[in-house]
Amino acid sequence: MNGPIRRTAIGLFTCLAMLLAGVTWYQVVRADELRDDPRNPRGVLSERGKQRGLIVSSDGVVLARSVEDPTDARNYVREYPQGEAFTHLVGYSSFLVGNGGLEAAYNNQLRSRRDLTISDLVSIFLGRDLRPNSVEATIDADLQQAAFDALGDNRGAVVALDPRSGAVLALVSKPSFDAEVLLGDDASIRWESLLADPSQPLRDRATKEIYAPGSTFKTIVTATSLDTGHAGLGTTFDDPVEFQLPGSSATIRNANERACNDGETATLLQAFVRSCNTIYADLTIQLGAADIGITAEALGFNQDIEFEWTIPRAVWETEQLAQDPAALGQSGIGERDVRATPLHMAMIAAAVANGGRVYTPYAVSQVFDADGGVVRRIEPDEMGRAMSEETALTLTQMMERVVTEGTGRLAAVPGVRVAGKTGTATGNGPFGNPWFIGFAPVDNPTIALAVFIEGTEASGESAGGGSVAAPIASDLFDVWLSR
Amino acid sequence: MSRNVEGATIVAASLLAAFAVALVNFSRGETVDAQVGLTFLVFVLAFGGLFVAVNRLAPKATPLLLPPIVALVGLGFFQIYRLDPDRAGLQRWWVVIAAAVAVVALVLLARGTTSSLRRYRNLLLIVSVGLLLLPNLPTDWSFPLKGLEVNGSRLWIVLDTGTPFRMQFQPAELAKLGLVIYFAGYLADHQKALREAFRKIGPIRIPEPRQLIPLVLAWGGSILILVWQRDLGASLLLFAGFVLLLYAATGSSGYLLTGGLMTVTGAAAAAYLFDHVQRRMTAWLQPFENYQDEGFQIAQGLFALGTGSLSGAGPGLGRPDLIPNAETDFIFAAIGEELGLAGTVAIIALFALLISVGLGLSFRSRDTFRKLLAAGLTFVLAVQVFLIVGGVLRIVPLTGITLPFMSYGGSALVGNMVLVALLLRISHEESS
Repeated sequence: MNGPIRRTAIGLFTCLAMLLAGVTWYQVVRADELRDDPRNPRGVLSERGKQRGLIVSSDGVVLARSVEDPTDARNYVREYPQGEAFTHLVGYSSFLVGNGGLEAAYNNQLRSRRDLTISDLVSIFLGRDLRPNSVEATIDADLQQAAFDALGDNRGAVVALDPRSGAVLALVSKPSFDAEVLLGDDASIRWESLLADPSQPLRDRATKEIYAPGSTFKTIVTATSLDTGHAGLGTTFDDPVEFQLPGSSATIRNANERACNDGETATLLQAFVRSCNTIYADLTIQLGAADIGITAEALGFNQDIEFEWTIPRAVWETEQLAQDPAALGQSGIGERDVRATPLHMAMIAAAVANGGRVYTPYAVSQVFDADGGVVRRIEPDEMGRAMSEETALTLTQMMERVVTEGTGRLAAVPGVRVAGKTGTATGNGPFGNPWFIGFAPVDNPTIALAVFIEGTEASGESAGGGSVAAPIASDLFDVWLSR
Repeated sequence: MSRNVEGATIVAASLLAAFAVALVNFSRGETVDAQVGLTFLVFVLAFGGLFVAVNRLAPKATPLLLPPIVALVGLGFFQIYRLDPDRAGLQRWWVVIAAAVAVVALVLLARGTTSSLRRYRNLLLIVSVGLLLLPNLPTDWSFPLKGLEVNGSRLWIVLDTGTPFRMQFQPAELAKLGLVIYFAGYLADHQKALREAFRKIGPIRIPEPRQLIPLVLAWGGSILILVWQRDLGASLLLFAGFVLLLYAATGSSGYLLTGGLMTVTGAAAAAYLFDHVQRRMTAWLQPFENYQDEGFQIAQGLFALGTGSLSGAGPGLGRPDLIPNAETDFIFAAIGEELGLAGTVAIIALFALLISVGLGLSFRSRDTFRKLLAAGLTFVLAVQVFLIVGGVLRIVPLTGITLPFMSYGGSALVGNMVLVALLLRISHEESS
């Protein structure tokens, strides 16, 4: 009888060995995957009450900090002392609704590595620092607040970049919300009511939404024209009151319903400064979808931009537009299916300011350890060249003329040479979406920005890029350059 | 290992339980309270008492059985305390009761020998079947003993006298032992016939149809449990235990093969016919695809194990409360989250030690009945551990059975402590 018992024993111990293999599989091999599964709430739950690192602005203002919980000395609570102007960039760290913004993107740096387990002892023994790291954002707190205030009652976004590096100087989306409401036990209810709010305060209009760029897209068409040598500043075009789209009964008119110049001919410079749709539709069709696509893609269209989080792809449908000249004509003035985030449009202004070189935008410059030592320093990353230096220079002249004598006059700042381009894209119902992109000072640009307004009753039916967005840009140039 | 070392190890294992409870207090920021001392006291008194009883009633028994059991009960208790302190308070009483019942069992066994059980086996069969049927008593009659359905399975009886004293019990946990004793007695008597009654058809040996009757009866009984009480675990456990014992007694792999085929057929038919078995199959095969319903429990168990990783979150610092039924079916995953791979490997090793000791007893027994009884008890223990831990680890479908010595629940603990008393007594008799 011992024979079969021995064989059964072998079978049973094989089963136990399978159990050992099973625990090893789940607790070693697949442990990280299971721990980080988005459906596993343990990670977020365990962060609750733990100390997190600081987020500070480039001018030393604290944007997020952990302080001791007054009701429970063992716990910490998160504070966002600068309020809602900073929420879309800084984000939130909520045990109920998760993390957002830089709080999410830099969670691995900001979170405490103190787990209160035996591994802490091992780590301390090995001399590892368990305290959370801190993060320095590239934004300037004054400019950020100024941008939020300048938007007034409007819905929209402002993105300001340092054209020399791609560093974000301000990144605002409005309306916003106070991140601290997401920290309490009622966070889920607050989240639901923010989701239900018709003004959509949770929506990050600056980096997570794509919009038709309107006439600001003419900068890309112009750059293509200059680069290919197809038409220069003085090249003249026919100047009709309306431009007949080929193969279509539709026409394109200018914003003021009149001819661009004298009804006979107009130069490219005049068309750009006055933002004439008729001539730009014509020019776009002459250039062709492919050549414009080359410039657009060099500026990051149709590809993922690795900002602190991946921003939605800007759209220029080269192949489709090559088949459809009518659609191409409309796309040349930033309508139809052309789309980009406000952050992306700021990148375009920055590229022109920077002699045609494009930088990947970034919002964190340094990571510090708890003693203030630098753990990581983020270096600017050049994506490539989008246009020749000469083209950028000519385009700059044209953009400066927009501000001195064209549609962007309200963007002017006394004593400063400002360059820019306005736009008013089709928006919701009777409302247009005003845009302004530009940079200053022209001879040595230190700021490039995009202002986007989502047309509502607050901006009004007559609102355009020149009347609503340009004054906001003027304010911000002034704040930045008079620091 | 001498008796003194055994006693010291029992005290050490009791300290382990108390220390784990203290860590739970500490990590929750509570003051380390009377629970710690109480836990230590209860463990030392209950298992110390059992230890003393073993010294008197089965002095030659192996000293290797009690210490791992105290450690397993202690680890289980700390996790129950961490999940639900109120239930831990009840479980503490059950530890005392189970140890006391084990002492009583030793006293009764010491009046004769375990071999006397062989004579009572038909009585035990009737009692066991009666116990198994008890949960099918009506729930709504006036008699104080009522059947009870919990989570769709009918495996509880409740003693409800109308006074605040109310007691629930899972009779299958005791019936399990009675049936193993019956099987061992029956097989000891008939092993020769069962072994030799084979008909040769070419190279294949086929059992005589008449000799398959016990196998078919056991199978039918298991199917009845599955249908009437929807208790997949007990059904599978009893049948697997019986088939393994039949193989051990006869050495005929034909029984193993036939039993295996019957299990697969039964399981396939059950999965096809019964909704509750179907749901368990879905949960087993695709827990993450069905995360919102059937798969939730298994997925949470795996999240717990994965998050626990090597060293675990620490006592009281994980979130095993997120797993449904963490203190019963999923206590293994709960401990895996807080004590990590270190804890789960330790538990498997402790069970491996128990199983080796049990099989060693069987191996060295000279008396056929005792040999088969020790083997049968160990098989049932081993199969139960494999079914529930394997269920948590997705090696087999989850059957909803308790983890011996660790899960919350009095009847299981009492039943398993009686199982230990039987093994201890067999060990003593074989060394005498």
